[in-house]
Amino acid sequence: MSFNSIEFLLFFIIVTFVYYALSHKVRWVWLLISSYYFYMCWNPKYAILMAISTIVTYLSGLLIDKANKLSDGKKSLQLKKLWVFLSFTINLSILFMFKYFNFFSSSIERIFNYFNNPIYLPSFDYLLPIGISFYTFQALSYTIDVFRRDIKAEKNLGKYALFVSFFPQLVAGPIEKSKNLLHQFDEKHTFNYERVKNGLLLICWGLIQKMVIADRLAILVNTVYNNPSDYRGFEIALATVFFAFQIYCDFSAYSDIARGAAEVMGFRLSLNFKSPYFSKSIKEFWRRWHITLGAWFMDYLYIPLGGNRRGRLRYYFNILVVFLVSGLWHGATFNFIIWGALHGIYQVIGDLLKPIRGAIIKIFKIDTHHFSYKLYQVLVTFALVNFAWIFFRAGSFTSALIIIQNIFYFNPEVFFDGSIYKLGLASKDLILSILSIGILIGVNMLQLTRNLRSELSRLNIVVRWSVYLTAIAIILIFGMYGPGYDPEQFIYFQF
Amino acid sequence: MLRKGIIKGFIFLILLLIVVSTLNSIFIIKTGHRSKLIEGLYKHTGNAYDVVLMGSSHMNGGIDPNVLWHQEGITSFNYATGGQPIDVTYYLIKEVLKNHNKPIVVVDLYYLGLRDEYGDEGYVRNALDNLRLSKNKLDAVINCTPRRDWESYLIPIIKYHDRWKELTVRDFLYDTSESYFAKGFDAGTDKYGKNIISEVSTTGTIDLPPKTEEYLTKIIDLSREIGFKLIFINIPYDYNSTSGSTNWVKEPAKMFNRVAEIAEDNDIPFINYNDKLDEIGFDFKSDMNNSSHLNIWGANKITVKFGEFLKENYDLIDHRSDEKYAQWNIDYRHSQAASISDK
Repeated sequence: MSFNSIEFLLFFIIVTFVYYALSHKVRWVWLLISSYYFYMCWNPKYAILMAISTIVTYLSGLLIDKANKLSDGKKSLQLKKLWVFLSFTINLSILFMFKYFNFFSSSIERIFNYFNNPIYLPSFDYLLPIGISFYTFQALSYTIDVFRRDIKAEKNLGKYALFVSFFPQLVAGPIEKSKNLLHQFDEKHTFNYERVKNGLLLICWGLIQKMVIADRLAILVNTVYNNPSDYRGFEIALATVFFAFQIYCDFSAYSDIARGAAEVMGFRLSLNFKSPYFSKSIKEFWRRWHITLGAWFMDYLYIPLGGNRRGRLRYYFNILVVFLVSGLWHGATFNFIIWGALHGIYQVIGDLLKPIRGAIIKIFKIDTHHFSYKLYQVLVTFALVNFAWIFFRAGSFTSALIIIQNIFYFNPEVFFDGSIYKLGLASKDLILSILSIGILIGVNMLQLTRNLRSELSRLNIVVRWSVYLTAIAIILIFGMYGPGYDPEQFIYFQF
Repeated sequence: MLRKGIIKGFIFLILLLIVVSTLNSIFIIKTGHRSKLIEGLYKHTGNAYDVVLMGSSHMNGGIDPNVLWHQEGITSFNYATGGQPIDVTYYLIKEVLKNHNKPIVVVDLYYLGLRDEYGDEGYVRNALDNLRLSKNKLDAVINCTPRRDWESYLIPIIKYHDRWKELTVRDFLYDTSESYFAKGFDAGTDKYGKNIISEVSTTGTIDLPPKTEEYLTKIIDLSREIGFKLIFINIPYDYNSTSGSTNWVKEPAKMFNRVAEIAEDNDIPFINYNDKLDEIGFDFKSDMNNSSHLNIWGANKITVKFGEFLKENYDLIDHRSDEKYAQWNIDYRHSQAASISDK
């Protein structure tokens, strides 16, 4: 049941109506049932994995809480660490088995084959459980939050299970920390017209990003990236830039729909994207892109590793570890690892080159506050991010290399001889794509300094309702959906 | 707060419905079928017709209301659409009867031969896309189309939204009055030039496909329930024209013999014009547009004969000299039939 389906629309309407009709005390039960139903629409069997993850982390919380009460401080700490260790081991083992085992076993086989010493390891024919990386990380955050005493252990297994499975953000985030979300299930949410309206507006914007922009760009991206050796120069460059906006709109759409759906019911989920392509450095990009994953790694990996407090070398090492793990989190292929590594290396090199950059700025008296310098920074960052996206999108390492090889080819004629319209998007669709990217950039720019939803709510009702109706009409007319159209799954579902 | 939310939400939903229904009208493909159904179903209401003509393309180019008028002074409208399956015809009859009180309903039964559960989507859309949203349309969609297509029949923009790149001014300012004079009739002007291949005279019978028999029965039951007169016909065509179709009965001649039995059992007239080709002087070579459809001259011939049948068997008033029907005489002058007879 994808967010951009009529099934979800009906599901969400029913869930919301019943939610508000029920007494506050039992609402969490309804949300829990709805969330498991939502998850089981994909593959009912995999709900067991989520239930195991839930029970393990729930018990870890109770046991850590119990250990906290021991008078022997040393023993208490040892026990608490044991429970954290066990919780992590069990959860990450499940994740490893279902997501990484085949990758690692085939990689080991390849290494042995390379040295003419073939071995055969078993492989598992599983479908990747949808959203497993998201809910595993969310559940693990709970174990650590209880360990760090940021929150108290949740006694109610049902409410805790709801925290892990809450349907709006279950399969593709935002990844919520328990300290942000868990307590919200105890809050009493009354129907608030403004809040419900704002939530629906966010859902609408999410649907525009997904159905009008991302899924249209996907057609051109798929055409080029599925047959990279057939295309060159500007064709590949255009597909790569389109992919940058496709993945952004796709993922940002999911987050916005998730946040909007939660808001309709009174819950506040974290912001996951903050105009990321306006970042002036890779470091800043990661503060604006998939913010909740970045925050998870910062809190639960980077800081425990020592962050930047243990010397420059260790700092670089920590950065590389975090981004390699982040790459691996996205998927069990070398391309994702390279993508993660590139982002790590960018930051290390960026830090190493800082003195040189400083010197150049000083020598040439560059005004770093000037718009042109900032634009230059944004464009360089965007180019670096785009280069890394090649590995993220290409089906294999070989495809990525073909893309990189073929991109260095000067063929501006493709814009004039009609070739550009043979990449899956005919002229009007291509113009609409470029126009919609322009509108997206405009909206993102406004979002940097303004709260568009609250500004809209201050306008008079005729303007407001015209905006709402136009937005729905845009989805209905320009959205990619309906018979004869194979809906694009949200990209982040596979992680 | 809740009350205010519900009221505002309700008003918003109404506005949204208006927007969606406007978008539907703009985006639906503007075919001749759309034009005639809007004319016949929603523009000319209030017991406007003595006779209504139902069926598929055979009927669409088979019986000409203008000729019926010119020869016998009978008012009628041709509601047939290309490829219209018999189940769709049943719901279309119900839609017609909403605005016309017990006209004589004439149904061409060519489509009884379809063995598929559902008609071809494009053909079904010729009719259902052009019905206004109602319980009748909902029933038609549920019973005549596969589940996966329901949403797009009820909200056609789901099907047609990708037409945004091909919309023209005509889509925004669609004027159905261009088809007013035809009164739903449209025949070709080619001459087939070949003789009929299939053997039409046979004594055997075969069963009708289950679904079409079910809907034939429903149409008969509806006529009893509401009390309108029903006439079944089979407009001439070469039975051989469907011999290559895997979804069609193999021996239409025998199927029509079975239809004759059913009609007789239910006391409903059934005129199989394929059995009367010599009697009515029908020349397949010059009266057919192709192997399946009459041309304008063939349609004229059949309509004249059918008009005579109506006159002889039903108490139909000749309105030609009635002042209230003066417009019909004017309309005839603009008809396809008049243009042919002028030449």
